Order: sequence, then C-alpha cells, then structure tokens
Amino acid sequence: MNKQFLKAGMLGLLVAGWLSQSVWAQSDPTGKRRVTSTYAITNATVFKSPSDPGSKATILIKDGIIVGVGTSLTLPKEAKLIAGDSLFAYPGFIAGAGTMGISKPKDAERPKDFVSSNPPDEIAGITPWRAAADFYTASSSQVEDWRKAGFTISQVIPDGGMLPGKTAILVLGDSKTNNFLNNNAAVAANFRSSRSMYPATLAGVMAKFRDVYQNTALVLDHERMFATTTGVKRPQVSPTQEAMKAVVQKQQAVLFTAGSELEIRRAIALQKELGFKLILTGLENYESVIDLIKSSGTPVLIKLQLPDEKSIKAQKSEGVTEATKAQYARVKEAYDAALKQAALLEKAGILFGFSTADAKASEVHQTLKTMIDNGLSEKAALAALTTNPATILGISKVAGTLEKGMLANLILSTDTLFKEETQIKHVIADGYVFDYEIKKKSQKTDTSAVKSENPSNAISVEGVWEYTSETPAGSSGGEITIKRDNGVLGGTITYDDPSGSGKASAPIKNASLTGKTLSFEFEVSAGGMSLSVLISGEINGKSMDGALSVPQMGSFPVKATLTSPNLAN
Amino acid sequence: MKKNIFLLAALIGLGMGTTHAQVQKGSVLIKNATVLTITKGNLESSDVLVQNGIITQVGKNLTAPTGISTIDATGKYLMPGIIDAHSHVGLDVVNEASAPITAEIRMKDVVNPYEIGIYRALAGGVTISHAMHGSANVIGGQNATLKHRWGSKDPADIIMQDAPRTIKFALGENPTRVHGRGNGIQPRSRMGVEAVIRNGFNEALQYKKAWENYTLAKTQKGNTSTPPTYNERLQTLVDILDGKIIIHCHSYRADEIYMLINVVKDFNIKKLVFQHTNEGFKVAPEIAEYTMGASVFADWWAYKMEVYYSTAYNAAILQKNGALTSINSDSAELIRHLYHEAAKTQRYGGLTDEEALAMITINPAKQLGIEDKVGSIEVGKQADLAIFEGHPLSAYAVPQMTFVDGIKYFDRNSDQLDQRQWVAATEMVEPIHLRANEEAHRCMQDVDAYFEAFQGAFFSEKH
Amino acid sequence: MNRILTSFCATLLALLPLMAVAQIDGEFVKPRNGKFLLKNATVVTVTKGTLNNTSVLLENGKISQIGTGVTSSDAEEIDCTGLFIYPGIIDGGTRLGLVEVSSVPETVDYAEIGNVSPNMQALTTVNPNAEAIGVTRVSGVTTVLTVPSGGLFPGTAALINLNGYTPDQMYGGFKAVAMSFPSSGRRGRFDRRSDENIKKDGEKAMKEASEIWENAKSYLELKNSGAELTYYPEMEQLSKVISGELPLLIEVNAASDILNAIKWVEEKNIKVIFTGVAEGWRVADQLAKSKIPVVTGPVQALPTRASDRYDTPYANAGMLAKAGVKVALRTDEEENVRNLPFHAAFAAAYGLGKEEALKAVTINPAEIFGIADQYGSVEVGKRANLIVSTGDPFETRSQIQHVFIDGYRIPMSNRHIRLYQEFLERSPGLNAN
Repeated sequence: MNKQFLKAGMLGLLVAGWLSQSVWAQSDPTGKRRVTSTYAITNATVFKSPSDPGSKATILIKDGIIVGVGTSLTLPKEAKLIAGDSLFAYPGFIAGAGTMGISKPKDAERPKDFVSSNPPDEIAGITPWRAAADFYTASSSQVEDWRKAGFTISQVIPDGGMLPGKTAILVLGDSKTNNFLNNNAAVAANFRSSRSMYPATLAGVMAKFRDVYQNTALVLDHERMFATTTGVKRPQVSPTQEAMKAVVQKQQAVLFTAGSELEIRRAIALQKELGFKLILTGLENYESVIDLIKSSGTPVLIKLQLPDEKSIKAQKSEGVTEATKAQYARVKEAYDAALKQAALLEKAGILFGFSTADAKASEVHQTLKTMIDNGLSEKAALAALTTNPATILGISKVAGTLEKGMLANLILSTDTLFKEETQIKHVIADGYVFDYEIKKKSQKTDTSAVKSENPSNAISVEGVWEYTSETPAGSSGGEITIKRDNGVLGGTITYDDPSGSGKASAPIKNASLTGKTLSFEFEVSAGGMSLSVLISGEINGKSMDGALSVPQMGSFPVKATLTSPNLAN
Repeated sequence: MKKNIFLLAALIGLGMGTTHAQVQKGSVLIKNATVLTITKGNLESSDVLVQNGIITQVGKNLTAPTGISTIDATGKYLMPGIIDAHSHVGLDVVNEASAPITAEIRMKDVVNPYEIGIYRALAGGVTISHAMHGSANVIGGQNATLKHRWGSKDPADIIMQDAPRTIKFALGENPTRVHGRGNGIQPRSRMGVEAVIRNGFNEALQYKKAWENYTLAKTQKGNTSTPPTYNERLQTLVDILDGKIIIHCHSYRADEIYMLINVVKDFNIKKLVFQHTNEGFKVAPEIAEYTMGASVFADWWAYKMEVYYSTAYNAAILQKNGALTSINSDSAELIRHLYHEAAKTQRYGGLTDEEALAMITINPAKQLGIEDKVGSIEVGKQADLAIFEGHPLSAYAVPQMTFVDGIKYFDRNSDQLDQRQWVAATEMVEPIHLRANEEAHRCMQDVDAYFEAFQGAFFSEKH
Repeated sequence: MNRILTSFCATLLALLPLMAVAQIDGEFVKPRNGKFLLKNATVVTVTKGTLNNTSVLLENGKISQIGTGVTSSDAEEIDCTGLFIYPGIIDGGTRLGLVEVSSVPETVDYAEIGNVSPNMQALTTVNPNAEAIGVTRVSGVTTVLTVPSGGLFPGTAALINLNGYTPDQMYGGFKAVAMSFPSSGRRGRFDRRSDENIKKDGEKAMKEASEIWENAKSYLELKNSGAELTYYPEMEQLSKVISGELPLLIEVNAASDILNAIKWVEEKNIKVIFTGVAEGWRVADQLAKSKIPVVTGPVQALPTRASDRYDTPYANAGMLAKAGVKVALRTDEEENVRNLPFHAAFAAAYGLGKEEALKAVTINPAEIFGIADQYGSVEVGKRANLIVSTGDPFETRSQIQHVFIDGYRIPMSNRHIRLYQEFLERSPGLNAN
C-alpha cells in the first residue's frame, strides 16, 4: 500500500466517523454529548516536535484536526477555550505493538479428523487473516490507562499463535467508535509454538514460517499465470496465503515479537533468508545485537518497561559470602546494562519506538525517566514516543508532530515532560479532550500511589475471576468463583480437563486472603492419580498475578482478572 | 584480549570472512608435548605451530614467528580436539515431536551459544559437537555441527559452516511410543517405522519428479503447468536420496539396524551412520560393509528394554569387525569426559591407545564428513587441540587447555569461576539443580512439553 | 524341537532320571567356595601399607594368612606374579538389585507409595540374579549399599555382597533408615516454583518431618514404658533410629539444606550419615565440625549451579576430605555401579589424591557403616572380599583378573562378556556360507 493510498484510506475512515455522528446524533438524552468539537488551548508552551525548543503559542483544533498553531490565531466563536498559560503542549504519544483493548478470539473447534501432526492453520495459531480491528474494544479500561499516560495513537496486535493476524492502528479517542487509522497494517508474528501440535516448538515455528512464505510466493506465481495464460488450472488460495500475499509482495511488513537477543537474531535471519519487510517489537535484551539491528536496517519497538528492581533491592550488603557478592555483582551489572540499552539505540542511530505490550501504563513516566537518567536524551525519548513510531507505522503525514494539519492528538502537562513531578493534565486524542486530576505529591514514594488507587485498603476477592496459566503444555485457563460464607472463603474453580477435552470443576479448599495475597488449593484427577494444586497470587485492583504450583512438578505463572465482582458485601 | 586478536587479524587482513566476521582464528606455538597425532603416530617432545587457525608445522625444535606466543607443554600430552558425534548441548529445542517425519526442522535455527554446557565440554577437551535433533521421530530434524567457540553471541559463529548437512533418524521404542502409543498414528511397531521411512522416500521421489516436470515445462512456450506445492520436508528427503545429507540414525536393536541397512540399499543411499547402536555388535559385519559405521556409548545399558541385551564390549566388537566406530556422549555430563569413555574400550575389549583415541577424534570426524578438516594433528588441518596432564586415556587425566581454530577457550589455570554468558537482571537466587545428571540426557527433551501438562510429569525417560 | 524336548523332559525327568540326556553344550561356571592361595602378589592392604611378593591365603570365607612365605598343601594355588591384590571395592549408595530395566515399571522396586515408609526393606527386594549384579562384580566392586528412595523416609537400606542366591546370603551386616531431607533446591527443569514458594514448601516439609519425628519419639517412650501400642510399623522402624539401633542415612545436597540438616540432627543424639552432599564443598568446614560422615557422589556429575566452576563435582570429595570430613564415595547408580572405580579416579585426580580415593571406596565406607572389622582392607581375619588386578583398578586399562567375595571365587563372566564371546567373530559372518 503506498503512502498516498494509505492517507486517503485513513481520511476516509475519519470522514465516515464524523458523518455518521452528525447524521445520527440528533439529540442525546444522556446529556453527555459534547457541545463543540472546536477547542483552543491558549498561550501554552508548545513543543511541536522533538527538536523544538518550545515557545508560547495557541493551538486551535477543529473536528479532530489541528487547524492552527501560533501566536496570532483568530479563534472562532464555537471554540471552547482551555487556558494553557501554565501548561506544556506536546504531540500525543504513539505506541507500536500494543495489546490494549484486544480480546482473545474464541478457540476454534477441533475437527473430528484432527491429527496433531497436521492441524488446520486456525488451530495451530496460523491466522494471519484475522484482524486486530475485529477484536478491539475502544471502551476498554486498558485504553483509558494508556491514554492517561499520554498515548493518543496505538498499533494493536491480535492475540494468537505464531501468525496471530493483521495489526491495526487507531486513535485512542472517543470510546464510542473504534477510530481506526488503518485496520489492515503489518502482519504480526512471533515465536509462539502450538505446543501440543505442529509446530510444537520454536524450531517448528521457524520451519512453518518458511513453508507459509514460500507457498504464498508460489500461489502468487500461479495467479499471475492464471491471469495471463489460458488453459491454466484455477489457483486454490488458502486464507493464510491470501493474507500473506501482501507480505510476500513487500507491501506489508511483518511485525515480529522478539524479546531476547537470540530471538532478535532468529527473526533477522528469517528476514535475510526470505526477504520480507521486518519490524521488530517487544525487545527486552538487545545490547549485543545493536550492530546487527543497525546493519539490517530494521526498525524496532522496544518494550516500554524496564526489569523489576526487586532483585537489586533484595541484595544484602552484610552477612553474605564473597561468592554471593560476586553473584550480586553479575545481576547488578545485567540490571544496569538493561537500563542503558535505549541510550545505546540512540547512539547507534537506530529508528526505534516503544511497544506497550506487557508493560504497565502507570509506570511509563518512571520508565522513561530511568532511561533518560541512563543516557537517553530527552529529544530521543520524545522522538521514540512520537515521530519515530509515526515513521515506523507509516503515519507520519498525519501524526507525530504538533503542527497544522495533523490529527488533533496532544498532551498538556504541568511542566516539561520528563521531570520527576510533571503530571499530565489533559490528553487530546482525535480532537476529544480528556481531563485528569492533578495530585499534589506530598510523598514521592510508591506506597502513596498504591494507597491512592485503593483508598479503603480493603481488598475484595469475591466474584468470578477469569484466569489463564502458562504450563509446559501451553496456556490453559478457566473461571474461579470465590464466595465468602460466614467469613470463610470458598468457591469453585474450572480447569482444562487433563483427561479429555472441555472443562472440569473442583471445589476450592484452604482459601485464605493475607494482605494482598490470595491463596487456595484444589484437587485435579489425572491418569488415575490425584494432584493437589495450589494457586497463590497478589491482588492489585481487579487483577491477580501469581503462580499455580503442583507438588513434584513445579510452578507455573497464573494471571486472573475479576470479571464480575460481587459487590454485595 | 580476544577482541585484540580479532583486531590484529583484521588489520593484517587474515582470512576474515565477510559473512561470519566474528569467527576468530589464532596463532600459537605449543612446544615439547607428547603429540598424539592419531593418524601419524605419537611424537615425543614435539612442537605444533598454529598460524591463523591452521596447523602449519609439526616437528621438533620449531621456533615461533614474531608475534606468536609459545606454550610450554613439557610433560604434557597434546591431542586433536575431541569430537562428539552425538550431543544436544547448545540447543534451545531438541525435539519437534509433533510428526513422525520432521525433516524440515533445522537445529541451526535453535542453536544457543550461551549454554554453559558448551564451556563444560571445552573443559573436557571437546571442540566439536554434533548438536542433534532428538529421537522422538522416525525422521527428525537436520542437525548442526558446532565448534565450541565459547563467548560467541551469534549462533552462526559456533556453527561449523564448512561441515556437511546431517539429519537425525530414530528407530524403535522412542518413535513408536511418541506417535503410535502417544498419538495413535503410525508407527506403533518396528514394522511401522520401516513403513514410515519407505513412504517418506517414495513420496520424496514423486515430489522430486513433480518439480522436475514443472521446471522443464516452465521453459516451454505456452506452458500451462503450475508450480507444485513447496515442501521442505520432502525436499530434505530428496537431498538425502541425492547424497547431500548424512543420516545419523538413533537405533538400538540389531533387527532395526538391519532393517535400515536394507532400506538404504533399496534407495541407493550411501551416507548412513548409526547412533547408540547398542546391539550393533550383533550385525557388526553388515554395519562394516554397508555403512559409515556406528557411534556408540561406552557402557550405557539397561535403562530401557531395547538396551537390556547390551554389552560394554560393543565398540570393541564393531572395531574388530572393521566398522568405523566412535564413542559419543548424548549427555551434557558425559561430554565432559569423552576421553575417559573412550578409554573404557581398553577395559572392555582391550583396544590399543590409537584405536581408542581414534574413536573420539578422526572416527567421529569421518562420520560427520569433516575428516579433511579436523580429527587429527596434521599440517593443513584446523587447529582444534587439547592439552592433557597425564595420558588422555588414563582415568586420572586432567584436561589443561583447549583450542579451537588456534584460539584458547579453556585454560584450567586461569579458569574464571562464573562462566555464565548471560545473567537475568531480575535473578533473585540462582537456581540449584539437584537432578542435573538426569537432565543431562536430552534425547527426548521437549517431548514431554508436547504432551499434555499432567501426563508430561509422568513422562520421563532418558534416551 | 527344543521346546518339544523340554516339555518331554519336564514330565519324564521325574520318572526316569537316567534318561535326562538332552544334549547341552558348554559348561556353566558357578561361583566356587574353597581354600585359595594367591601367590606372589603386590598386596595393597589399604590399612597396613603395600606388601611386595606377598601371598594371601583364603579359607572359610576369611583371609587367614598374609605373608611372603605362606604355603598350603591343600589350597588351590593362583599365581599372582606381577598382579595386585586390593580389598573388594565398596559402593556407599546404589539401587543395585532393586531395578532391572529402569523404564519398565514392573521391574523397578526401589520406591514405595507413601511419604513415611521406613519399614520398607531394600533387602527384601534385592534380586540376587539381577543381570547388573554379575556385570558389577567383575569390575572389582564386591559390596554395595542398596538404598530405597522416594518419600521423606523411603525405607531401610541394606549392605549386600554381590554373590549369593538369597538376599540373606548376600546381606553384609549393615542396615540404615533412609531419609530424603526436605530440600530448598529446585527439583529440575520443570520445577518453576518461585523462590518464595520453594522456601515455603521447604519450611512446610521441615515442619512435617519434625512432627513425624516427635511422633516416633513418643512411640518409643510409650513402648519403653511398657505401653501396649497399636500396630504401627512405620513408627516401630523409626524408633529404632531414635534408640540408636539403626543409623539414619540422610540424603541432602543443597548447601543450605546441609546446614539445616546439621542443625536438625544436632540435639538428636542419633547415628547419622549424610549422603549425596553435592554442595558439601560450600559448607565443608561446618560439615567437618559436625563430625557427620559423608557418602558423596556421583563424582562424574554436573555442577548444581550454572555459575559453579565446571569441576566442582569432581573436586567435592577432595575439598570435603581436606576440611576434615570423613568421606566415602558412591555412584548412586543401578546398572553402572561398575563405574565406581572410575568415579574414585576422578575424585583422586581433582584433589582427593589416590590414597584417599582408595580409602573412600574401601576402609572409609566400612568404618562409616561400622563394619571395618570385616571389610575395607586386606587383613587377616577379615572377610575374603578381594580382587586381583593387573594394575591400579581405577585405571580403565587395568584388567580385573580375579574377584573373591566371602571366600567364593567369582567366575569372570556375565552377559556382557558372553555376548562378546559369541559375537566377536560371528558365524555366519557377512555371507551365509
């Protein structure tokens, strides 16, 4: 897809959005519809782009577009004024490869003649025809969280296996519409295997990727022949091949998730072998492959999250042996190196943005600050949040800077962006204004944040939780129903029946809630044996993060979300 | 230090390939060693000169050209780097156990140069290992021959790029258990194993023909024939039939060994090495006549039914019947003392020093198709070398230094305590592995993960 | 044809013994008791130095004379000129005889159901005809401790000599109750418990172990006071450890576990032997201070941690001995107990030294097991467990020429050797003619 076409497509989508609104929205008995779509932020300190030193100006936006930035603008009467005198305006952040608002597709049913050595693509995680757009919910609380952190545009990747589907690029605007800029962007890929069928391992995934790619290329040959020669048999194109054509024709990039150095090398090796357009995402450890990334010309989206500091804080200074100290030093060295990686990308001149997948929106400010403290320039940080991802996602004509004609995506903060105490007061996305409460920070400690999120400090666990667990056999999940009877916690849990398909259920035993930690046990029958399984996890709001452990087998990560809380208590 | 050598070599423009610029080559003079050349006898108090990764001189009273350091090996033994023809060290994945034939799988895709097992192998004098796919499938994946260039971060730098392609086959209990009993598809018996192989090769012949027909038709005017489906699995089998790939077949019982000999005869395949081959001694004359020999354990037996009727004299019987024989590890533990495993052929069958040492050097080199490059100390060969305190066949031998391409990667006297190449930034406590030896045997690794989680826990087996 | 003969024989034999003339070729060599004079050997006694040109007389299952001029008119003479005599080698921890083919559950008998089953007797299930026994003893390993495993108290281990047709004939006079000390280590690749959970599980298991122990103490106290107690074989067996009748064999490997175990046994006033002790080198001084003897191994093993020096398992025994710990070695094997001499060689080369390594597989285990009056050295009056070798038995190039167990001359044959004899020059060979 060429850029012009892309832009036309995007504008088409936008226009459609406006039109439908104006035709339909005759009245609004909810009283929530905004009165105007024209806003003026007056006399703010405006940073139009990463290289802009900032100057006082007024920003005028109308119908989702910045119609002017300057000191002598004529403001129309319908413009709602936002006093910007004490505010700092930046282009809205753009994230690559996020999962906000994305729901999991339903598991496909296994056909009766299913053989694990040759499963249908859909079951084996090969679904490049799926569109993230179809699984996106704009009203998701995750979208709210990221917008609050300053993000106004995100690419989203569908949930799934090795080729989960096409990504979408959207504006984090009004939650009533989906606000797509492009609902058919890069094809997502990763090294996730199907575990219990082909491809069951990383090695299988790489072989299968080649197979899909090569056969798509052959189908294209076939189609060309069919179009030009009579007497050629009809080409039979699978949905997978149909979806991969744009990749083989280098019209669409592959957005490959590769966290570690070895994964990055493997993705680039595949790219070199087959020749597709590659964007790498989810990078966590990449210090030793920076030269390779540079020489291969691959744009990257690094994970917007740094390693947990827990291990460093846990290091004791007294009462430990020299050997332990040496071990500590290795971990510290690795930790320090991880913080410096982003700066190294800047130094190498690599085009990079951020991926929000598996990152926490509430920690973005701190993460960016730590990267800057470790050598990343503020200019490069802002570029990685704005102009770089705009370039990588192919939307720099409409987004990435705060200039006339661009989409009305911007951030209004209380001070320059990367200061410790700076907070975001407004985010304008797609021309919609979102206001945030500015907290007076009496203490800068983390505990204050936790407390403010959960002022009553009471943790409620009752209700229905949906959980997923990663085991060597792949991910599984079910529902946990927690009740309190006369003050005693109990309930039931459903899980993938190990002796067949479907779900089995078991009562919860020995449930307890200590502080933020919920733990309970249940029994699973498998192969004539009964196993006792312990789930224990820390609760944060409506989510639980913990482990599922089975004696003699080990423990596996488990995540749960409280989907229907029981508010009766 | 390593970086300096690299820079220096780059400056003088020495053999720095453009594709794998990180592969380092060194120069060194090792003096006054008892040189066990393997192919040209033993040389007392002799010197070996290495220049730019290649052995350039072997003799007495050699002098080091300017800039080349000297190592005094007086009283020590110098032998070629040990070659392990069966290993799973340095691999992130061992088994793609989901189909009876997975010839398209490439172990080169999943090489992990960070694995500590590589260093531990170096510390046992092992410079080359054959990193194989596991034994879950009748025809498994393509293997990688690794050079133990410890410290390399790029998998391509530890892959021996000039080694020929090899592939894993497996007969008997493992594939019949995984596919027949585990998944209800052929093979469930040793009959089925033969059928799967024959089916595969016959389909490969059809595939080859389809592509030949298409390629030919394409050049004709008014062509209407369309490209066949691409299938790397079958293409790999075609390559085997065309003699481009050496088969390395996991096998135990004499009947299944004999079966495969008959199959390859029918398909006119010449390049076949048997692995493990515990009952190889029963068909030693056939192995000697029709194959590239067997790569065996020194003394493993009785861990499963198909190795119950084994003998530790297997290697000696094979050798004395003229079969090319090597001793392998198939274990991250055994790979550290292959010199000792080879020495067991002296206890069980009284092999000579030369015969025993050949089983971990030139013989496995022949089975991997790299005998023109490594496996003995000869002028012109790659300088993969190991220095021992004590004769390497003594149970008291202690490896001192190991060189790959003339670069010293292991030195007992300056060994760093913590050799990990990578440490997680979030590591709280380093994991302690109390069943490390059990985990060393990885022929069936990843198979358990392939089965359901709960069944997987009850699914532990060694080879 | 053979089958028909056999079935005929089965019925006819009893009636007509003289007609049992089915043709059988070859002769089976059995272990043979008798009086043997091993002449002119170099005798490595282990406890009394090395004696040159010395003869050893074996009679009635014992070593009756050692000296330069020993003669006997009625003993079978074996010329040992140029050969070496060593005491029979002892493996301090195996599963020998308890398993035939490890992947076939029907042949695996070392683990019973239940966490507390000290009453399970390894000796009961020793199969005197296990193929591995014949394979092991020709290597010079004449005596092994065979140990059940599984739960917290998996059973009672027994010392066996590798000759005999019943477990009682093989029994070597030492038993001990086995215990797997609760571990804070990871169990393997699949153990993905968090560090906190591992610690918690460890503490929980420790608490449980102490409760069981207290239970056994109560059992013993009440029993000693004459109370009539309900049948409780588990406590009956554990109480024997508390009373001092049986030692406790504690399997413990991770450094922190070893320290916990030392603490746990401190005030118990029982006889304790530690086994495994893979990370003993990390806490060698504390081990030495505790005076608890150690059976460590396998020596040919991988380091427990990725950051460990590559040779720590080889060097462990040496580091322990240097710190003053009494050390014996084990293979922890079933079919390859025959490799014990080589494990000892590795320990010797990596710091234990040849002399100490030899002790670690002879007199040390004998002393640790309290049977040094009968085992562990070539001395007059001790059991006739000894081997005759062409050289150092730890060297692969040496050949073991003779093995004597309890005075029996052991045939130097087993299935491995018979297969060699049959197949070295197969007939027919490549071609059928």
